[in-house]
Amino acid sequence: MTATKMLARDWRGGELGVLVMALVLAVGVVSGISAFTTRLQNALEQESHRFLAADLVVTGGRELPADWLLAAERSGLQQALTLQFPSMVYAGDDAMALASVKAVSDAYPLRGEMTYSQAPFGTVLAADTGPGRGEVWLDSRLFALLDVAVGDEVTIGEASFIAVAAARTEPDQGSSFYGYGPRVVMHYSDIPATGVVQPGSRVEYRQLYAGETAAVASFREWLDPRLQEGQRAVTVEEGQPGIGSALDRAESFLLLAGSLAVVLAGVAVALAARRFSERHHDYVAIIKSLGATSGAVNRLYGSSLLLLGAIATLLGCLVGWGIQALFFSLFAEQLPVQPGPSGIRPYAIGAVTSLTCLFCFAWPPLRRLGHASPLRVLRRDLPMENRRAFFDYVLGLLAVTLLMWWYSQDWKLTLAVLAGLGLTVGLGFCLALTLLRGGRLVGMSAGSIWRLALAGLQRRGNANALQVVIFAMAIMMLLVLLLVRTSLIDEWQAQLPEDAPNHFMINIGPENVQAIEQLLRVEDITSEPFYPMIRGRIMSVKGEELPSTDDVQEGRRQREINFTWSDTLPNENRLLAGEWWAPGSDEPLVSLEEEFAERMGLEVGDEVGFLVGSQPLEARVASIRQLQWQSMRPNFFLVFPPRLLADFPATFMTSFHLDEADKGFLNRFIRSFPTVTVIEMDVVVEQIRTIIYQVSAAINLVLVVILAAGGLVLVAGVQASVDARVHESAILRALGAQRRLILGGLLIEFATLGLFAGLLATMAAEVSVFILQTLVMEMDYSPTPWLWPVGVFSGALVIGALGVFSCLRVVSTPPVRVLREL
Amino acid sequence: MIKCENLQKRVPMAGTELEILKGITLEIKSGESVAIIGASGSGKSTLLGLLAGLDEATAGSVAINGTDIGALDEDDRARFRGQHIGFVFQSFQLLPALTALENVMLPLELQGQNSVEEQARHYLQRVGLAARTGHYPLQLSGGEQQRVALARAFASKPAILFADEPTGNLDTTTGEHIIDLLFELNREEGTTLVLVTHDQALAERCQRRLRLDGGALVGE
Repeated sequence: MTATKMLARDWRGGELGVLVMALVLAVGVVSGISAFTTRLQNALEQESHRFLAADLVVTGGRELPADWLLAAERSGLQQALTLQFPSMVYAGDDAMALASVKAVSDAYPLRGEMTYSQAPFGTVLAADTGPGRGEVWLDSRLFALLDVAVGDEVTIGEASFIAVAAARTEPDQGSSFYGYGPRVVMHYSDIPATGVVQPGSRVEYRQLYAGETAAVASFREWLDPRLQEGQRAVTVEEGQPGIGSALDRAESFLLLAGSLAVVLAGVAVALAARRFSERHHDYVAIIKSLGATSGAVNRLYGSSLLLLGAIATLLGCLVGWGIQALFFSLFAEQLPVQPGPSGIRPYAIGAVTSLTCLFCFAWPPLRRLGHASPLRVLRRDLPMENRRAFFDYVLGLLAVTLLMWWYSQDWKLTLAVLAGLGLTVGLGFCLALTLLRGGRLVGMSAGSIWRLALAGLQRRGNANALQVVIFAMAIMMLLVLLLVRTSLIDEWQAQLPEDAPNHFMINIGPENVQAIEQLLRVEDITSEPFYPMIRGRIMSVKGEELPSTDDVQEGRRQREINFTWSDTLPNENRLLAGEWWAPGSDEPLVSLEEEFAERMGLEVGDEVGFLVGSQPLEARVASIRQLQWQSMRPNFFLVFPPRLLADFPATFMTSFHLDEADKGFLNRFIRSFPTVTVIEMDVVVEQIRTIIYQVSAAINLVLVVILAAGGLVLVAGVQASVDARVHESAILRALGAQRRLILGGLLIEFATLGLFAGLLATMAAEVSVFILQTLVMEMDYSPTPWLWPVGVFSGALVIGALGVFSCLRVVSTPPVRVLREL
Repeated sequence: MIKCENLQKRVPMAGTELEILKGITLEIKSGESVAIIGASGSGKSTLLGLLAGLDEATAGSVAINGTDIGALDEDDRARFRGQHIGFVFQSFQLLPALTALENVMLPLELQGQNSVEEQARHYLQRVGLAARTGHYPLQLSGGEQQRVALARAFASKPAILFADEPTGNLDTTTGEHIIDLLFELNREEGTTLVLVTHDQALAERCQRRLRLDGGALVGE
């Protein structure tokens, strides 16, 4: 008999449905999620590249080699140039202001867009390129400071320009605004005419590159060894740590989801294959009694499985393609960029998953069919062949581990999931056996439904323990995913609430602080506290003089830096080490930001030397703080006790939230306080929020798919035990048992299993989430008390309902027919 | 034809050993029809399983046509069954996913024969089911299912046919029809017949009767 023939016959007999469905779903979910994440990552990466205005940026204090541009051109990369420098801008006879000038070439920006408005603070418009030759865009407030209007002439150095628009945002303006004045945008080729850029000027040259990921990467490799001191290459991950880490976590989450899909799919396939094998035991016994050898049986089932695998893989890839296409069709409109192609890898992953599932999960129970005893034709009560079951579990575990690792390429993530799984399995068997035994003792004195149900649980002790473990595994994985998703999204949203500050004010003179505070109050604008800002220079660390060269960008060198003072720990700051000083302290102390301290090699108790103005200042590190850089609040590397800096001249800064509709306030404000610098971050904040919104939406969608996969495992798990239960129930029914007794008994039986499974799953989920959050996602772990009732009771409810539903036909079909079918 | 000596079967049960067969010695000649009778639990089915090579004895030997089937491994026994032995069971043991015709073709396919369909149709016709070849077991009555089983058993032309309570699941009239058909075919094909039964009438039609009691042969 050929395998095709047998498959065709089994298909007609309805035996293959669950197995095929489990396989198709395994391949579909894994390849679908993989294709989706690949394409989404491409899209998000492109989106985040807008923050750099390019895929790769090289910066330097001196002009960068032109042959790099040629090399990039040969690699097929787009290029653009920018140059930033501070300069005085003049208008009319006596108006002047210090501005931060940015000269951009025609191709700028390569990613994202610049915005401008036709009038100061007017409606924001997008532009593909900057101003033309001989033209400039001025920061809105420069119009007020210079007393000019659109169309008037301004002078930079030796060249005159027409102010044609108000400059609003550039994609890569970032947050490096300290020490710079309002923005002026001009054309790159107008630089020589101004004559302001001389050797030794404080300028920043940038070369921007963009193109295919592979081309950018290989260009970067070519470039890195050629970079000299003072030159730096930056990609989005390095350039925007905030966005980078959000993306990393999102990626971890999606990989975790995919890995869980792999495990769930494996379990579903194993369960379906086991049931298939159990149902085929009699079949094999008959054909063996008729002369089939175990080799022939193995060949028959082996080739059937391969054939089935091939068909299911093809179907699964189609389903996977469908899943990702559905995802993108659901929220394509919200995506700012077109998702790129996913390539073949996701489908290859699906196919390998399918092969692994077939070999490691489906084959072991089927292989046992070959050893089935032909004596079953005479004695159906013979136990089924169960040799090497332990070996099969080990094989399955190994396969799951390797698949997860291969899929996520992250051993910590794999370990976190495995730890949860291990705990579930280990504790599961002990707990399930003990509790189920305990259940019997309680149940013996209860009413008859309870006795029936609990006796059933007890009788199938081992099978029930296995079932509890499988349910627990599925529930655990769903809980893990739910928890990680919730904490990720909560954290993101907490970072940037709707009313997060989106404007900064700097250079506020001490004499203006009160007046501005009052103005903000009158206008009903809530702001952060006003922080003093003192500019100084860090000179020595632990008594050791630092090098003064400007060429070293990173690491230990003398550098200009902004300090503040405060009696209390600033909002959103967290003490990592040391102690905060007592209010009113005049001790020479300083509190450092975590990464700054690390970069300078400083710990609590170390001495640091500063130069403020022309006065030296020695301070001891009192504490180390962690900041939320994405919080859009004033953040400082160094904080001193107020009385220590009281004698130094300071300006103040704050940040506040302003709605789009209230932007007119800025015009009034600039006229009243022309020396104060206002920095508009609202577009950047909105960009970050958009990305986070999209990632959150993607994560929710993935959660739904995994929920479906988990649901399938639960259904397969319930199905596995339905035959025996339906058989018993049919007998009870034949003996006259009422519908209520049978369904009630089944409900109690399944709900009890679900209760135990939920309890186990919740425990294991907490462990898994702890490892995931602390090791993989680098988030803070906090226990989740609400998880316990949710996990335990939803387990009981869902499994109870599924169980009763699966057995429903026993009360709707005459018992004789049920008994005959089995 | 069949020769068994001091055949014993013990199974472990609840810490002790249960002795099901206590040293059976018997011989069945070619073409003979033999009924094994006895009360429930006397070991009839166990003896049948051992004689047919479906099970392994704890001690003693079974030889069929000079082949010691206890010395064969399970695969060789399977081949041996395929070549020499046919079965009829109390619960019919038809494969539910196969049609009547496919069920009859199955042992022939397993023997690797060609043009098995024609042969299978012939035997289905012989048991009076020519019109029902495309039906599945669930669509057939008990008597019809047992007739398919008979067709399947004889189609592979076995030297020995083992029948385990062949009428146990059938009413008297249907049972009698099946028995008639069984003996008719047996005569035509010249098969050796060994059957286990409670049914006195059925046992009477065999040339010889072996009575089992508590796992031992107590008389003929």
